[in-house]
Amino acid sequence: MKSVKKAAALLTTILILSLGTSGCWNRRELPSLGIVMGVGMDKNVDSGKLEVTAQLIKTSELNSGSSEADSSGGGGGSSAYWNLQNTGESMFATVRGFTHKSSRKLYWPHNQVIIFGHSLAEEGVLEYLDFFVRDQETRLEVYMLVADDNASDILDFQLKLEKIPSVGISELMESQSANSQTCVTQLNEFVTRLMSPTTAPVAPIIKIEGKGANSELSVEGTAVFKKDKLIGQLTKEETRGLLWTIDKVKSGIIDVKCPDCSGTVSLEITRSKGKITSQIEDGKPSITIEIEEEGNIGDQSCDANLVAPDAIEKLKKQVEKAILEEVESALKKSQKLKADIFGFGEVFHQRHLKEWTKMKDDWDEIFSNLEVEIIVEAKIRRSGMIGRPATPAKE
Amino acid sequence: MILEKGQISSAQLFFLVNCFIQGALLPLNFAYPISKHDTWLAVIAAMIIGSVIALVYISLAGLFPGQNLVQINDLIYGPYLGKFISLQYILFFLMTLSGYLWFISDFVLTFIMPETPISSIMIMFSFICAWAVRQGIEVITRMSVVFSVIPASIVFITFALLLKDMEFTNLLPLFESPPGDLFQSTHIIMHISFSQVLVFLMVIPYVNKQGPSKTPILLGMLSGGMVILVSSIRNIAALGPLSGIVTSPSLEAVRLINIGKILTRLEILVAMAEILLLFIISCVFYYATVLGLAHISKLRTYVPLVVPIGILSIILSLLSYESRMQVSHSIMYITPIVSLYFYIVLPFMSLIVAKLRKLPRNKGRN
Amino acid sequence: MLSYILSKLKFLKLLGQNYKLSQSNSTASKDEKNTTSHLSVSLKNNLDLFKETIGNNYDVVIREFTINMQKQVDAVLIYFAGMTDPKIVNESILKPLMFESQLEKNTLASKLDIIEIIRTTMLSVGEVNKRNTINDIVDSCMAGNSILLVDGCPEALLIMTADWKSRSVDEPKTESVVRGSREGFVENLLTNTTLLRRKIKNPDLVLESMKIGQRTRTNVCIAYIKGIVNPSLIDEIKRRLNNIQTDSILESGYIEQFIEDAPFSIFATVGNTEKPDSVAAKILEGRAAIFVDGTPFVLTVPLLLVENFQTSEDYYSRPYFVSFIRLIRYMAYLISILAPATYVALTTFHQELIPTPLLFSMASAQEGVPFPAIAEAVGMGIIFEILREAGVRLPRPVGQAVSIVGALVIGQSAVTAGLIGAPMVIVVALTAVASFVVPAQTDSGGVLRIVFVSLAGFAGGFGIMIGLIGLFIHLTSLRSFGTPYLSPIAPLSVADLKDAFIRAPLWTMITRPSFIGSQDPKRKDFRLKPSPPSEKESQSE
Repeated sequence: MKSVKKAAALLTTILILSLGTSGCWNRRELPSLGIVMGVGMDKNVDSGKLEVTAQLIKTSELNSGSSEADSSGGGGGSSAYWNLQNTGESMFATVRGFTHKSSRKLYWPHNQVIIFGHSLAEEGVLEYLDFFVRDQETRLEVYMLVADDNASDILDFQLKLEKIPSVGISELMESQSANSQTCVTQLNEFVTRLMSPTTAPVAPIIKIEGKGANSELSVEGTAVFKKDKLIGQLTKEETRGLLWTIDKVKSGIIDVKCPDCSGTVSLEITRSKGKITSQIEDGKPSITIEIEEEGNIGDQSCDANLVAPDAIEKLKKQVEKAILEEVESALKKSQKLKADIFGFGEVFHQRHLKEWTKMKDDWDEIFSNLEVEIIVEAKIRRSGMIGRPATPAKE
Repeated sequence: MILEKGQISSAQLFFLVNCFIQGALLPLNFAYPISKHDTWLAVIAAMIIGSVIALVYISLAGLFPGQNLVQINDLIYGPYLGKFISLQYILFFLMTLSGYLWFISDFVLTFIMPETPISSIMIMFSFICAWAVRQGIEVITRMSVVFSVIPASIVFITFALLLKDMEFTNLLPLFESPPGDLFQSTHIIMHISFSQVLVFLMVIPYVNKQGPSKTPILLGMLSGGMVILVSSIRNIAALGPLSGIVTSPSLEAVRLINIGKILTRLEILVAMAEILLLFIISCVFYYATVLGLAHISKLRTYVPLVVPIGILSIILSLLSYESRMQVSHSIMYITPIVSLYFYIVLPFMSLIVAKLRKLPRNKGRN
Repeated sequence: MLSYILSKLKFLKLLGQNYKLSQSNSTASKDEKNTTSHLSVSLKNNLDLFKETIGNNYDVVIREFTINMQKQVDAVLIYFAGMTDPKIVNESILKPLMFESQLEKNTLASKLDIIEIIRTTMLSVGEVNKRNTINDIVDSCMAGNSILLVDGCPEALLIMTADWKSRSVDEPKTESVVRGSREGFVENLLTNTTLLRRKIKNPDLVLESMKIGQRTRTNVCIAYIKGIVNPSLIDEIKRRLNNIQTDSILESGYIEQFIEDAPFSIFATVGNTEKPDSVAAKILEGRAAIFVDGTPFVLTVPLLLVENFQTSEDYYSRPYFVSFIRLIRYMAYLISILAPATYVALTTFHQELIPTPLLFSMASAQEGVPFPAIAEAVGMGIIFEILREAGVRLPRPVGQAVSIVGALVIGQSAVTAGLIGAPMVIVVALTAVASFVVPAQTDSGGVLRIVFVSLAGFAGGFGIMIGLIGLFIHLTSLRSFGTPYLSPIAPLSVADLKDAFIRAPLWTMITRPSFIGSQDPKRKDFRLKPSPPSEKESQSE
């Protein structure tokens, strides 16, 4: 019993001492945080220095939407976010420099998007990424994007549905799987590709479409990096070609010509699987891409009866051709850029370790002339709620 | 001279060993930079070699039933040389304890509260350990039953939740790292977890049925090893090459879990598991140090030594380590060599000397 | 430091004084015993002696009368009004002695035999004893017996007439049930033990009685089942009870605090219940119960932590929902001790763990609140305890007013005025409700809540972890009469887990809890799983 007493005494002493002497080190009350929701990096036009835009939320304005409605009748003048800009040499110093301008300390864990300006991306992003990987406040699963022009403009674009642009962008990224025409990239995926000696990092491109009141944010196409420098872009179709290969297609629409007439048939992708295998025959490397796809008929503009077995068979061929074209276009573009966006190099690395050591050094050349066989197998499972289209019966 | 009156069952010993091995979850980080995606192979190798070496310890304990390491040393090497060797061991346990103290505090600092002075975290943590050690081995082992189940289930649950994000091709190609690196990594893993089973020579005598300490220890090592293996596969498959550069792959891997935006930010579970496991490990080393010292100084109870040793270990760890880089360097390149002496050379020597002097039979006649 | 030593010295001095006091006390009592005289032959002397001992009490009745035998004999009946049944006194003692004794006129007897004749032939009362020391007589009188002194006899008759007004057996207030017995213990010891005896109709049920408390002389009764209970447990209980040297035992709580294993622990290691069926179930598991006269709360030992989460009703309902409810109870207890601490840790240390949308609403609710979260948590916790205490003590109609004031002023207005964030009010309310789910641990929960909140405010999640580990160390090292407090969890006993977090069907619980160390571990046959009649049987029918 004596030990309990002693332990209790010791505990209270320690508690009091530590409370009294040191206070609380890491205590940050919620109102003292400047919560960063998005960050954009640009090259300053005048000085050529790094310009970082951090998007903070104004917690006091967050709920004002509802309360203002009853009190002041929706003045709505102030936005719920605040874009803070600072220029500097190094990333960390620039970020710390925000304390000169912000009353609250920047708080990063809830950061949703990292956007690189076009010109900065062309010069290389490596030196700026280290902060996001190293700092304990930042998380690896933030979305990484490249702006068509300046990142700060994107972050300052007031979306119609969301109060905060960064949140809007991150929701936008999450909804992209419906089309699978954007290579949604999280920081960890980007860094993983960056660390590979051969695989080229990719990131989606975001831009402002239109002018003035009618303008909208839109995510389209893919930025291709070589090492850490932006070297080219993929179009929507090429992006999906890439996604087919690396098994990232979740859903989407494939438009094909009707096999019977001139109309268009749209098929919804319900499931897909992409697989890359490597062969080396007589010292000559080659790659086989196998793609399996399943889909439903989603829409048809003609009156042909597509539910007949032979029509389905023809339609399947069309779909396979369409997919093949997408993949081929992506392959062609990447071979032209000499950027291994598919990770073929890693496949060789993993399966053919011995030969790989020889191929590693001039992989760029090998890649640009690599023989790639593409096998596509499409299936059409269902035709929606109707069989034949709802057209006047043919006599 | 019986300093410890507590009795533990062999089932509890199993859980204690299991907990002890699982505790390598976090220190395993030091192996990733060396063997990269082959680390899981190193885990398997370490598990096998470690079990073989553990057999030496177990047979040493089997020769002298009811005697702990300090008493065994006395019996084998005589009172003077034996004391000297025991002192070395105790110093080694103390250093390991202070290393673990530094380690847990560094972990807390890096991931939970970066601006806190390291000493305050150490004091809080070692206070808790001291409390447990005062209660005796019985309480520590009883706690290990719960503390081994929680982290293991966390590892398996996160494994299942991460399946979506895992690329098992990340485990390929096998044996890419040069054999030297692989061996070094194996050795690191062994010396931070499997070989440390040596410390159980201080605990085995208190198992209530003296005979079967072999099965619980080996089973504990294998089951604990399986948990580490699963977690290392999870980390490598989920993180890919990143696992080689991040400070805590387990934490970073679990951070990636995002199931419907609801099950996210589970790294807190991993942090909790780490604290629990490192607590048990620290307690075992703490206990071994204190008990050994009490044996050498012929005290009637080890309780008065608990607080001084705690303070000593805090001071030692503050003095000997200054940065994570230094610690990882020392764990990767220095301690594996030093610990060879304790984990392999001394036990083997003890066993051989004991066999040569035919000690257990003498003991039996007495 | 100096003051500490001084206080220590003072304490020692006090101890010394106490020791002296107790010594002088004991010598005094010895003196008393020495002077205690046996009864004399003279009734007057005896009466004087009695009056001297008992003092000038208004409630003592001294009825002088004459017994009409061969010759008239003076006699005195002494009893305490209110402690005896007047009907027995009038009809069964006074009436036969005063009137019907005339019938026995022809009986020849010496004076010395009168008392024996009265005992054997004239008193129609169940228990009548002869005593001749004044101490015994006074004791017995205090217990409600009537004393009959007869002139010329150096002995007195103690006639069992004890009966006083007591509460009738009622539904217990603290443990109400939906299904199950609605009997609750009352203040009368005999009634209580009878309630138990009626549940267990077995001669092996042993009720051992002793008196504790030098001044109150409270009856205490240990109940156990011979053949199930571990004899060493009974020895230990008796040893601890015999060690109690105190002047008063007013409630079983007194006993509890003198016999518990860990007086400094915030966890009770002695259980209490108001329900006879709970006591019966517990002593059937190999525990022992301690009944104390004057209180409906019966102590049971040893107590395990898991018992706090069990109710008697668990065993009367079907197992599925009960198991779920049990898990809910554990969860509620954890919420009641950890919720405010977790909230403080999350909002002041680990904001990264809050989901982003939730962080938005929490941050905007917290905007403009003047106090740090820890102050809010502690303040609201204290306010809640004030409201609760006020609600408990006040008469019911006023209590409602308190709750309205509390809900409106503290809840609504403080938030509207921007003094407290709305999430904090929710957390505190949730904590408050959760703390009532496990009534047996409400007090430990209250202490732990404050400890955890301060740890969280000081070191965030790490502080909470340290607190939890410390709590676990404490619980693991606790013992209740030799049984590890945390069993069957640590030390682990898989068989006993059937009745810890879940409640397995009764037919699977074949053995008694192993850690209590029952002499007869098996409590039922293992082939008791009910099933529809097998085909063979139905054919034969």
